[in-house]
Amino acid sequence: MTEKLLKIEDLRTYFSTEEGVVRAVDGISFDLEPGERRGVVGESGSGKSVTAMSIMRLIEPPAGEIVTGTIEFKGENLLELGEDEMQAIRGGKIAMIFQDPMTALNPVYTIGDQLVETIMLHQHVSKKDARGIAIKALEDVQIPNAPARLEDYPHQFSGGMRQRVMIAMGLSCNPDLLIADEPTTALDVTTQAQIMDLMLKLAEDRGTAVLLITHDLGVVAGFCDTIQVMYAGGIVEEGSVEDIFHNPQHPYTWGLLGSMTRLDGKHRARLHSIAGAPPSVIDLPVGCRFRPRCEFAIDICGRVLPAIRPIGEGDQSVACHRAEELDLKTLDVDVDHTKEVAS
Amino acid sequence: MLAYITRRLVYGLVTLLALSVIVFTLLQASGGGPLDRLKLNPRMQPFIQQLTEQWGLDQPVWKQYTTWLKNYVSVQEFAVHNAIPIIAIVGAAVATFLIVKFVRSQWTGTYLLGIWSVALYLALRNVTIRFNWGISFQGAGDVWDLVFSRTGATFRLGFTALAIALIIGIPLGIYQAIRQYSFFDQLGTIGAFLAFSTPIFIIGVGLQIVMALYLERWTGVKLFYVAGMNSPGYPDMSIVGKIADTAQHLTLPAISIALISLAGYARFQRASMLEVLHSDYLRTAKAKGLPRRKVVIKHALRNAMIPIVTLVSLDVAFMIGGAIITESIFGWPGVGRLYITAIGTVDYPVVMAIVMVIGIGIVVMNLVADILYGVMDPRVRYD
Repeated sequence: MTEKLLKIEDLRTYFSTEEGVVRAVDGISFDLEPGERRGVVGESGSGKSVTAMSIMRLIEPPAGEIVTGTIEFKGENLLELGEDEMQAIRGGKIAMIFQDPMTALNPVYTIGDQLVETIMLHQHVSKKDARGIAIKALEDVQIPNAPARLEDYPHQFSGGMRQRVMIAMGLSCNPDLLIADEPTTALDVTTQAQIMDLMLKLAEDRGTAVLLITHDLGVVAGFCDTIQVMYAGGIVEEGSVEDIFHNPQHPYTWGLLGSMTRLDGKHRARLHSIAGAPPSVIDLPVGCRFRPRCEFAIDICGRVLPAIRPIGEGDQSVACHRAEELDLKTLDVDVDHTKEVAS
Repeated sequence: MLAYITRRLVYGLVTLLALSVIVFTLLQASGGGPLDRLKLNPRMQPFIQQLTEQWGLDQPVWKQYTTWLKNYVSVQEFAVHNAIPIIAIVGAAVATFLIVKFVRSQWTGTYLLGIWSVALYLALRNVTIRFNWGISFQGAGDVWDLVFSRTGATFRLGFTALAIALIIGIPLGIYQAIRQYSFFDQLGTIGAFLAFSTPIFIIGVGLQIVMALYLERWTGVKLFYVAGMNSPGYPDMSIVGKIADTAQHLTLPAISIALISLAGYARFQRASMLEVLHSDYLRTAKAKGLPRRKVVIKHALRNAMIPIVTLVSLDVAFMIGGAIITESIFGWPGVGRLYITAIGTVDYPVVMAIVMVIGIGIVVMNLVADILYGVMDPRVRYD
């Protein structure tokens, strides 16, 4: 087996607020192979973005703090690096693109300024060469008339174009890992599909590993190799896209799949919905965190927090006491979502 | 851009006209004719005659107003000393035309502002111009001379105060935002609150008592003066002595004016900086791997300065009118003190002249603020 690109172990990131300690990420572990594209799926507040911000070490003390855990990137624990070393990794080896392209670019500098700045920061090239790289980067993300558009300001671009600029900026220094935090959520559906196709093509061509954070399972299906499903600060299930979509083992994953709209003509009477709301991450329930909303909960679920453990023959893991006895795929929510388009 | 500026100037003219009508009416309504005090002095009879004729005081109010307006805008004396003004104005006009026609840049506004400032400065240096603002009702002489003999003092005080407020207030606000909720931030907040809510006459008198009176008593050295712009012996002093004497007189009134502006700038800058610090694009800048210093200086500061431009520009406009209360407390021979005296004696040529000068200042500075705004924020376009 090749060396892992990213290896996270028992990561806990807490925020202190006036109401109490928010356990935004509470003991998650996962690996990423070089070139792997992994989807991080979950509802708002499940800890997806905090995971990403923790990897980038952009959690701002004193409010937020990485309490324990290791984040090993190419064999190096990021949490032990000094700020200078971390700056070389940010934007250089690990790049990040954000949800809202309308506000993620600085309005008072031209696109060229912002691209060239990033390139010169991580690659030791002259301003002229950096400009050349910037033009190439814009052409790679299919922005027409790239040399002229370098002189434009962010407000002169549409939302989709701005997200392309963000992607160009992220990939301009050939990072090993690209973290995309809901990159298409703020865009309309046709633009979403274009951006995802573009990202897929670029990531495949360069062998860039991608951590795609989203709440949209349809986006994951077409883009990722593996999925991890997060709930209330923990990973409840992970595995390959095929396993998760065809053979969900956790009732929460099963519920999420059931709540997707379908475009292949197999109409269900109505969309499935998961009753209730996610628990407050300040005051987590004892035992399984999904128990209050779980249709299959039994006595033990209210007492013991299930650990994540391998299940089946593949790489699938699940954090559910009843995973073996429940045969979720035979239940109403049916299979083959893998070819679905973003909904 | 040019169309926008022209439009704004026309609006400004309308505003000024409305301002003059309102202030003129209010002065008429204030009771007590302007000449009542003069009438007590029998020797003033011919002077009263002259004033009545000049201002049409025996006419109805609207007629008095039109007489005033006609006088106010008519040129009494105009002489061009050499060719420089013509060259400057024509040059600026040609440059404006060329820039608007051929340069498409966000800096257009700055270029125009700079070119016209220099051109107008050169032109005014080389012409003599006087408007017919009439003579003061209180026998203080020609109003034009009266007002412009005071502007030097007012500008000296105003610009010093503004400089203090900017140099301390802006960095203070930025620092407070970066170290939000630190001890220093809390201290700054309390200080700003106190400075902002203490009336200027308490600050002024307080400074006089503590910094001038008590300090001299304790140290035995006269560090600051409580009144006046220079000592009587000023003309005979050495250059160092002159500078020291000026500073000793200037410090206390400048501080008492600066404190309120300073507190305002610090609060405003802190709020605007905090907003920027929490913005998405700042997170992007950090995620790019920029060092923290560069994130703050390059990406945060420029955005956070944009709203301050308007605030400072308007302060400059108000400064032109002088600090009425501070000038009175510190016996500063500026426009503000002239203004308050003129109001007390219903000396309406003087009052109107000063009100209109302030009005023109505000209109012009508003326009300047808008142009600067467009320069700093590329999203703002004036078409």
